[in-house]
Amino acid sequence: MSKDVFTDATIMSGGRTDDDAIVVMDNVYKRFKDFEALKGVNFKVGRKEVVVVIGPSGSGKSTLIRCINRLEEHDDGRIIVDGTELTTDIRNIQEIRRETGMVFQNFNLFPHLSIMSNVAIGPRQVRRMPKSEAEALAMELLTRVKIPEQAEKYPAQLSGGQQQRVAIARALAMKPKVMLFDEPTSALDPEMINEVLDVIKELANEGMTMVVVTHEMGFAREVADRVVFMAEGEIVEVGTPKDIFDNPQEERTKKFLSQIL
Amino acid sequence: MIWMKRNLFRSVGDSLLTVVFGSVAVYVLWGVLQFVFVTGRWDIIQVNLKLLLVGRFPEELLWLVSGSIMALAFWVSAAATSSQSTKEARPGFGRRIWEAFQRFGLLAATGLLLIAVSGDRASLVMGAMILGSIILGQLVGFARRTLSPLNALPGWIWHPLLAVAPIVLVALTLSQASLDLWGGFLINFYIAIISIVLSFPFGILLALGRKSTLPIVRLISTTYIELIRGAPLFVLLLLAGVALEFFVPSSMAPGQIARAVTVFTLFTAAYVAEIVRGGLQSIPAGQTEAGKALGLNTTKITTLVTLPQALRNVIPAQIGQFISLFKDTTLAGVALNVLDLLNVGTAITAQDDFLGQGLIYETLAFVALLFWVGSYVMSRESQRIEKKLGVGQR
Repeated sequence: MSKDVFTDATIMSGGRTDDDAIVVMDNVYKRFKDFEALKGVNFKVGRKEVVVVIGPSGSGKSTLIRCINRLEEHDDGRIIVDGTELTTDIRNIQEIRRETGMVFQNFNLFPHLSIMSNVAIGPRQVRRMPKSEAEALAMELLTRVKIPEQAEKYPAQLSGGQQQRVAIARALAMKPKVMLFDEPTSALDPEMINEVLDVIKELANEGMTMVVVTHEMGFAREVADRVVFMAEGEIVEVGTPKDIFDNPQEERTKKFLSQIL
Repeated sequence: MIWMKRNLFRSVGDSLLTVVFGSVAVYVLWGVLQFVFVTGRWDIIQVNLKLLLVGRFPEELLWLVSGSIMALAFWVSAAATSSQSTKEARPGFGRRIWEAFQRFGLLAATGLLLIAVSGDRASLVMGAMILGSIILGQLVGFARRTLSPLNALPGWIWHPLLAVAPIVLVALTLSQASLDLWGGFLINFYIAIISIVLSFPFGILLALGRKSTLPIVRLISTTYIELIRGAPLFVLLLLAGVALEFFVPSSMAPGQIARAVTVFTLFTAAYVAEIVRGGLQSIPAGQTEAGKALGLNTTKITTLVTLPQALRNVIPAQIGQFISLFKDTTLAGVALNVLDLLNVGTAITAQDDFLGQGLIYETLAFVALLFWVGSYVMSRESQRIEKKLGVGQR
């Protein structure tokens, strides 16, 4: 039992039971040609839980969250999001994508659309919301990420930090049940990292369910309910930020932390 | 003087180059001016102006052509002013006049030249009426932006509404005078316009087909593109002129001009397809991923995210293709025996009045001038569109 507790990523924090699980990964494998990116990953995320995934580059952390909304197709095992299993059925995939929001390392805003349209495009095109309603929602979200005054501009006119906040607003506009963050601050200049992390922290405090892949250890320590350490396609160690950062059990975790801290 | 010293005579080599190329330039310029103003016998153009511009188009129906041109001018003018954003700061009056001059100065000058050459009152009236329809278009566009019942109209009603008049007039012209009665520059112009309008959407479909996940669609598109691109345009035109007779009884066969339009459309579409495909490939994968992550389906990702960006990226190549289509319309004259501008130009040198006087230079110069003006205007406009669409891009 004691060994399981820090390697089993299916035990959720705060005494959440399986009824609370919103993302379930069961023995998931993912291969790219002859490289095995995920080697039998078991992982659960509970409602309102904030899980931060850390690990060296190439450890499979991005692949892990990209499998959750099918940007990568897993080769083996099962992935269930909010009760729907990801299969090759395009309707299942669309349904899961509607319920999950994703924020990318390189923002990936649509450069030909105004900030307003970038945020409103999801609700308008996917949820078929009338234009005025979608724009009101977009304005509300832009206010929430603190850039309502930029609504009429285009992505290239904004700083990296502002663009990433727009990207967060764009994902939130779909009212997702889970937010996936794929290294949201890695492409940012240092002085812009905090404005983005602050927005993510606020979301966490409001009870958004999130999986965050990041290299920002201070941020992980502050907001994570659980920290998952991955290496070579496996989940090596799981625990509260305190467990992982102050008292790591596994050699690989200790080595990784000593290298970056 | 300092400028000359610095840029033209900096060293012995520089000075030598300046002198040599300077004299060549002066010699050429002298020759051209001599030709234009002294030795050139422009009466051949003057006498045949109508033939060069519209061929044997029936005199009594010419008002339809003038009407179409006026309606087109009105449409372009009104559409351009009514789509101007009211939020953007507008440049000052003088600046706007200067921009208008840069855009339309060459066209206006060519129009004035034609009026001067023809020297009759009818063409002067015609020019004035075109100018009038442009001004009317500006006024209507202005009203659309500011007056209350008009500015509430959504764009998808307003723009088709503007297009009604020119489309009706062009259709009326076509129904009254069959394509085979058309001639001169009118043919080159309309073959180019119709082929551009038809080949653009067709080319986009081919590009998407070539990137389709369905193997059969991909195979058909790829085969089509490679076959067409592998054949010389001239050969295709000759084929359309000759080979069709084997399959279709001549009474049912379409006219030469319709065949030319078909060949140009099919031919250009293959090139447009490759240009658009290149544009689609230049869009980073992250754009598609962001669309997927939002839950957009494949069709919406293409039409709302990747295709608009791809089309904008390929504007220069696209316009280049259309310019070469415009000029290639002269091939139709040779291959299909259509009385287009070039053919009229060479034919009139054999008229009794001008035979054997070596006036081919005059007519070719005139032909070249009209094509150059058309191509140059297209190229300028493409740069302008590019700039306009580039708002906030990178």
